[in-house]
Amino acid sequence: MAFCIACFIRDTAGALGLHSAEAVQYARPEIIGLVLGAFLISVATKEYRSTAGSSSMVRFVLGMILVIGSLVFLGCPLRMIIRMSAGDLNAWVALIGFILGVLILSLGTSLLKSSTSGPGSMHAPILLSLIGGLIFGAVAQKSRMCFAGSIRDVILMRNFDLLTIIGGFFVVMLIFNIATGRFVPAFDTPGVIAHSEHLWNILGMYAVGFAAVLAGGCPLRQLILAGQGSSDSAVTVLGMFAGAAAAHNFGLAASGTALDAETQELVAGAVPMNGKVAVILCIVVCFVIAFTNNRSEGK
Amino acid sequence: MRKKELKLVVTFHTTADAMAMEQACGEKKVPGRLIPVPRSISAGCGLAWCAPLDARENILEVMKEKAIEEEALHECMV
Repeated sequence: MAFCIACFIRDTAGALGLHSAEAVQYARPEIIGLVLGAFLISVATKEYRSTAGSSSMVRFVLGMILVIGSLVFLGCPLRMIIRMSAGDLNAWVALIGFILGVLILSLGTSLLKSSTSGPGSMHAPILLSLIGGLIFGAVAQKSRMCFAGSIRDVILMRNFDLLTIIGGFFVVMLIFNIATGRFVPAFDTPGVIAHSEHLWNILGMYAVGFAAVLAGGCPLRQLILAGQGSSDSAVTVLGMFAGAAAAHNFGLAASGTALDAETQELVAGAVPMNGKVAVILCIVVCFVIAFTNNRSEGK
Repeated sequence: MRKKELKLVVTFHTTADAMAMEQACGEKKVPGRLIPVPRSISAGCGLAWCAPLDARENILEVMKEKAIEEEALHECMV
């Protein structure tokens, strides 16, 4: 559905041969466009700055967690907002987990750099996708659009600049969905590629919010930051590819509720056991990273 | 809209440092507040400490005492 960083990374990982789930293999021009768009606009406005910082391997792991958590929920924070705007109540449930994940900020961990017939077959025309990605990448770079950052700014500074951008995006999508009759407030809407295992929706997004805070940005923001010169984020993006490969090679990704084409029966989407174990592990790893990087006075 | 003034803006390596700064300045009654890093400094999206120019000495003192390392000190319109 529309735009999802985790899903597009997963498809691209498939196209690169990193996993062999046939339904989800396609080198998404949107991803290329996003990074290129952010790169071009940052060069044009002289904001491009090549930077590299700390904890490369930890960032790689966080990238993996971002995508594994997302694929258990079936969407990155961007898609969560899009699903919310289409009335998918599962996404609203997952939002709770995401916010709780970001709240982990109160720990004051110090890894964050402040400066710094499957989905694969359903896609827009290549050129259109690329241009869409380029424009979206440029807009995201200019606006500093970030799902984790917007919640962080509200918590820490009562600053609503970033949240306004996300809110605006949500309202535009909501109006579009209502106008085109796509707004269906329900839990099990076939075709939305979602599942209703609430606990795992929450925990999946909790892991994503947590990892996003530690890595300093949601999956979308990581791509944009990589485009404007952050090697830290580039490492996180590489981790996201590895996470996508792991999610499908080890059967971690959830399945969406769908209508069986032959029997016309509703088949409920579910999170496989491997996925549940992986999410728990991801959250544990996040806690370990957070506490071992906790800021100690006078270090 | 609020008038922009020349302010001292301290950027940090980590968000945790910025948060520690807020706490330390609160304890020591040093003026200032957390703001998003101004666009003119960086296209990134972190937090920065914004204070009046004349608080510079106080701020450096607090940072030394609490071992908070700045990334850079800027003077810019905020």
